[in-house]
Amino acid sequence: MDAISLDPNVHVMESKDLDFYYGDSQALFGVSMKIPRNYVTALIGPSGCGKSTYLRCLNRMNDLIDRSRMVGSISFGGEEINDPALDVFRLRQKVGMVFQKYNPFPKSIYENVIYGLRIAGIKSKSILDETVERSLQRAALWDEVKDRLNGTALGLSGGQMQRLCIARAIANNPEVLLMDEPASALDPRSTARIEELITELRGKYTIVIVTHNMQQATRVSDFTGYFYEGVLKEHGTTEQIFTNPKEKHTEDYISGRFG
Amino acid sequence: MPAPPTADEAIGNEMFQTAPQVEKLAPFSAEDPKIIRTFQRAKRIDLMARWGISAGGILVIFCVVGMMVFIAAVGMPLFITPSVAKLSQFDRSLQEKILAVGVDEYLETGFSLDQRGVWSFYYMKDGKVFNQVTTKPVAKKNLQLHSIETYDNKIYSLLWADGSTTVTEVKFLPKFNEGVRTITHQINRIADFPAEQNQQVLQSFARISGEDDSKRVTLVRQLGNNKIQVIQQLVEEDLMGNTEEKNYSNDFQYPLEDPITVMTVDRLGNAVYAGTQTGQLLQWNISEPGEASLVGQVQAFENAMAITALAVVFGESSVAVGDEKGNLTVWFPGKIQKTGEPGPLKKVHIYDSYKNPIARLLPSTRNKSFTSLDEGGNIRLNHMTSERKLLDLSSAQPYRIFGFSTRDNGLVTLDDHNQISLWELDIPHPEVSWRTLFGEVWYEGYQEPEHIWQSSASTDDFEPKFSLTTLVFGSLKGTFYAMVFSIPLALFGAIYTSEFCKDTYRRYLKPGIEIMAAMPSVIIGFLIALWLAPIVEQYVISFFLSTLLIPLVTVFFLFVWQAIRENPWCKRIEGGYEFLLIVPVIIFGCWLSVVLQAPIERMLFNGNFQLWLYQETGMRYDQRNSIIIGYGLGFLVIPLIFTICDDALTNVPKSLKAASLSLGASRWQTLWRVVLPSASPGIFAAIIIGFGRAIGETMVVLMATGNTPIMDWSVFNGMRTLAANIAVELPEAPVDGTLYRILFLSGALLFLITFFLNTFAEVIRQRLRKSYGQF
Ligand SMILES: Nc1ncnc2c1ncn2[C@@H]1O[C@H](COP(=O)(O)OP(=O)(O)OP(=O)(O)O)[C@@H](O)[C@H]1O
Ligand SMILES: [Mg+2]
Repeated sequence: MDAISLDPNVHVMESKDLDFYYGDSQALFGVSMKIPRNYVTALIGPSGCGKSTYLRCLNRMNDLIDRSRMVGSISFGGEEINDPALDVFRLRQKVGMVFQKYNPFPKSIYENVIYGLRIAGIKSKSILDETVERSLQRAALWDEVKDRLNGTALGLSGGQMQRLCIARAIANNPEVLLMDEPASALDPRSTARIEELITELRGKYTIVIVTHNMQQATRVSDFTGYFYEGVLKEHGTTEQIFTNPKEKHTEDYISGRFG
Repeated sequence: MPAPPTADEAIGNEMFQTAPQVEKLAPFSAEDPKIIRTFQRAKRIDLMARWGISAGGILVIFCVVGMMVFIAAVGMPLFITPSVAKLSQFDRSLQEKILAVGVDEYLETGFSLDQRGVWSFYYMKDGKVFNQVTTKPVAKKNLQLHSIETYDNKIYSLLWADGSTTVTEVKFLPKFNEGVRTITHQINRIADFPAEQNQQVLQSFARISGEDDSKRVTLVRQLGNNKIQVIQQLVEEDLMGNTEEKNYSNDFQYPLEDPITVMTVDRLGNAVYAGTQTGQLLQWNISEPGEASLVGQVQAFENAMAITALAVVFGESSVAVGDEKGNLTVWFPGKIQKTGEPGPLKKVHIYDSYKNPIARLLPSTRNKSFTSLDEGGNIRLNHMTSERKLLDLSSAQPYRIFGFSTRDNGLVTLDDHNQISLWELDIPHPEVSWRTLFGEVWYEGYQEPEHIWQSSASTDDFEPKFSLTTLVFGSLKGTFYAMVFSIPLALFGAIYTSEFCKDTYRRYLKPGIEIMAAMPSVIIGFLIALWLAPIVEQYVISFFLSTLLIPLVTVFFLFVWQAIRENPWCKRIEGGYEFLLIVPVIIFGCWLSVVLQAPIERMLFNGNFQLWLYQETGMRYDQRNSIIIGYGLGFLVIPLIFTICDDALTNVPKSLKAASLSLGASRWQTLWRVVLPSASPGIFAAIIIGFGRAIGETMVVLMATGNTPIMDWSVFNGMRTLAANIAVELPEAPVDGTLYRILFLSGALLFLITFFLNTFAEVIRQRLRKSYGQF
C-alpha cells in the first residue's frame, strides 16, 4: 500500500491480514489497510463486498454476531484490538459509529447527546450542558434544536436525526468516526448537509465512511479503499483512485461498468 | 449501460428518473378482459372478506358482552326490592272478637278463629264463608277463649277462660281433580291440657317436636305470681310397636318484685325466654324432661325498660326483643373464647325502632326473618342477619292481628275496622344486602362482626354467611404470592433469552418454556398438591434459606469469576455459555439450603419449626399454603409472562441496541437504559396479563389451597379464591337460589376485576408507549 505517501506515525488504525468469517463463510480475505489520522477515508465497492463488515471490525461491533470470527490483527494507537482481553467498551467510546439508518433513542434530544457520558458515569451538569452544546454545534444542529433540547428526539426530521446521531457519537470525544452510508436514507438536501458536516469534521476526527455514491466519495474523502469480494483491491488517495486507478478492475467499477 | 450513479440515484430517486425508459416486460395489456375479470374477482373477494371478517369480529364482541349481561342478569335479582301487593280486602264484622287469621299457600282460602273457638273458612277473593268448624273446650262447658299462641301458623294453642289448653293443627291440603285444584282443610285436635285447680293461666305455649315414634308435646304455661309451668308429654314407641306415654310437669318461679311481662318458647320446646318489667331477659333450659334451669339472665336495658315482645328466631339461638319504647333488637349468646361454649346473651343487631311499644313478634319458619307489630298497628318484616327491612305496612286503620301462609308468600291482616286484607309477598333473597356481601357481619355464635364465607351447613336453620370480601381477598392473596414468585423468574428468564443467551440455545429454550403453558392446570394442581406440598412442608426452612443462599452463592461465585475471567478459556464461556457454569452454582445453593436446614432448625426454632411458629406467633402451618400456591400459579403464569416479555424485549429495534453498544455501553447498561424502557409497555402488559390469568385460575387453587375462606396474609395458610369458590359450590347450589345468584355475582365481580385491571394496564401501556415509543 505504498500509494499512501503518509508517515506511518500518523496512521491511527491499521489492519494486517484481516480475515473475517460469518460462521463458515468467509467475508474478508487478508485485508491490510492503514487509516490515516484526521483524514477522511472512503470505502467503496459493489454491494456485498464486505465494506460494512470491515467497518464493524474496526470497533468490534461484529462481536454481537453469533458464530462470527475475526483472524488477523487490527491495531489502534499501537494497541491490538483483536484480543479477547481488550476492553471493548473503551474501544467503542474512542471509535464511534454512525449507522445507515438513523437510530436516536426514544429519549429527549439532550439525553440522546449525553448518552455516552451517562454510560461513562459523568454526572456534572455543567460538563453535560457544555458537551451537548458543543456536540450539537459541531454536528451543525444546534441552531435548529437549541430551543427544544428536552423535546423527544423522535420529533426531528430524518436528516436532523442523522445529524443528532453524529452529535451523539462526537459527544464521546472519539478519535475515529465510522460511518456506514450515513446519507443513503436521506433526501438530497439532507445529504448535502451531511456532506458539509463531514467536510467540517475533517481534520478534527479520523473518519471512515462507506458509500455507494462516487461523487460523494470524491467530494468528502481524502483517501479511498476499493473492496471487491472481500478483498481490498486498491487503496490510495481519492484523487489517484478516481483519476488514475492502478487496477483495471477499479476503473471498471468507478466508471460504472458493473456494480 | 447506465451512466455513473448520480447523487439522486444514491438516495433512491432512480425510479423517477428511469421510469420512462422501462421496456414492456410482459406481452399483456391491462385492458385484456381476462385480466379485468381477475381484478374484478379480487375486488369481490376483498369485499366479501371484509364483511365476513367484520361480522365475525362483531359476533365475538357480541358474545362477550352477552356473557357479561347474562352473568349480571343472574346475579342482579339479589338486589331487587321485595314486593308486596294487596290481593283483596273484605269486611269480617262479627259479634265475637277474632283472635287469629290465616291463609293457605295458594292464597285461595283463609280462615279466622273467633273467641268462641269457631274457625270460619272463606274464599279470599270475596270473603264468602264456605265452612265453619268449632273447637270445643276441654271441659264440656260453654267457654270463651282467653288467648291463642302460634309459632308457625300451623299449630295453635288455644287457651280457654278456665285455664285449660287445646292444641290444634290447621292443615290445608290441595287436591287435584281433572286438572282443577281445590283446597281442602283440616282442623286436627292434637292434645288437651285440662285446667288445674286454683291456677290462673295468662298464656300458654304448645310445641311439638320429634316424629311419631318419639314425639314430644311441650306445653308451657305462664301462671300468675310470676310462675311458669312446663308440662311435657313424651310418646315413645318400642320395637314391638307398643306406645308408651310419659308425662312430666314442673314449675318454677321468678322473684315477684319484677313481673314477667312477656314470654316465648323456642320451636322445639327446649328453651323458655321471658322478659320482665325492668328489662331483664331470662332464659331457661327445659330440654331435659322434668327439669328447668335458669341459664341466662341479662339486664337488657340500662334504663329498666319493660320488654314487651319476644320471639325465637329460626335456628333457635337468637331471640328478637321488642320493648316498650318501640326498640327492636336481636340477642344471641356470644361464644366464650376459651371454652367455645355459649356465653351470656349479647345485643347484636339493632333495627329501626317504632314510635309505640312493640306488641307482637313472630319468627319466620323458613329463614332468619321475623315480623313485628307495634301498638300503633304497624307491621314490619326484618331479616335478622342482613338487618334489611323487607316489609313495612301501615295504614290509617291500625292492624291488630296477622298471620302468614306456611310458605311465607302470603300475609293476612285484620285491622281495627274488621277489614281483612290479603297481601302477596315476594321476598326472594332476604339475607342478601351489600353489607352482608362486602361488609363485616356479626353472625350467630361469633364474638364480633367478621368477614366470613360459609354458604351451607348440615342443618337448614343455619345462618348462611356470604362475605365476598373473603373471596376477593383470597383471590388477591393467591395472585400476589404467584406474582412474587413468577415476575422475577419470568422477567429474568426473558432478559436472559432475549439479550444474553446465544441464539443457538434461544431457539430451544424459548419453545421449551412456552410448552410449560400447554401443561393442563389440573396436572400442575395435583403435582403441587400431592407431591410438592409434602416436600415443602418437610423442607420449609430450606425453602426460605434458598431465597437467601442462592443469590449469596451466586454473588460469591461472581467474585471468584472476576478473578479468573481474563483467562481465554473463561472468555470463551462469557460469549453465551454462562449457563453451563451457573446451573451447578444454583444447584449447589439448593443443596446448601437443604443441608443447613437441620442445624438452623435446631439453633433457631428449637428443633421443630412448625411447633415454634405456633407457639411464638400463633400461626398454624397448613400443608396447602400460599407458598404452594405461589409455586403452582407461578408455574402456570411464568410461560405467559416470559413469552410476552421475551417478545417485547426482542422487538426492541436492534438498531437501538447497536447504537447503545457503539457508544461504549455494556450489555447490562444497554439493557437498563435502552432495552427495558423501550420494552416496558410490553413487560407491563405481560405482568397484567399474568395477573389476570392467575386471578381467574381455578383448577390449581382448587386443588392446592385447601379452600379455607380465611382472611389472613400469612404465607403458611391457604385461601379460597372467587374462582375456586364458584367451582366448589356451583354444583351444589339450587338453581336460582340465593347461593346460585351470589356465585354468579362473584363471577361478574371476577370479570369486572380483570376488566378493570386490563383497562388500567392498557392506559398505562399507552402512556409508556408514548414516552418510550418504538419505531
Ligand atoms: N450477519 C451476517 N451473517 C452472515 N453473513 C453476513 C452477515 N452480514 C453480512 N454477511 C455477508 O458478508 C458479506 C459482506 O457483507 P457486507 O454487509 O459487509 O457487504 P457491504 O459491502 O456492506 O454491502 P452493501 O454495500 O450492500 O452494504 C456478504 O456476502 C453478506 O451476505
Ligand atoms: Mg453495507
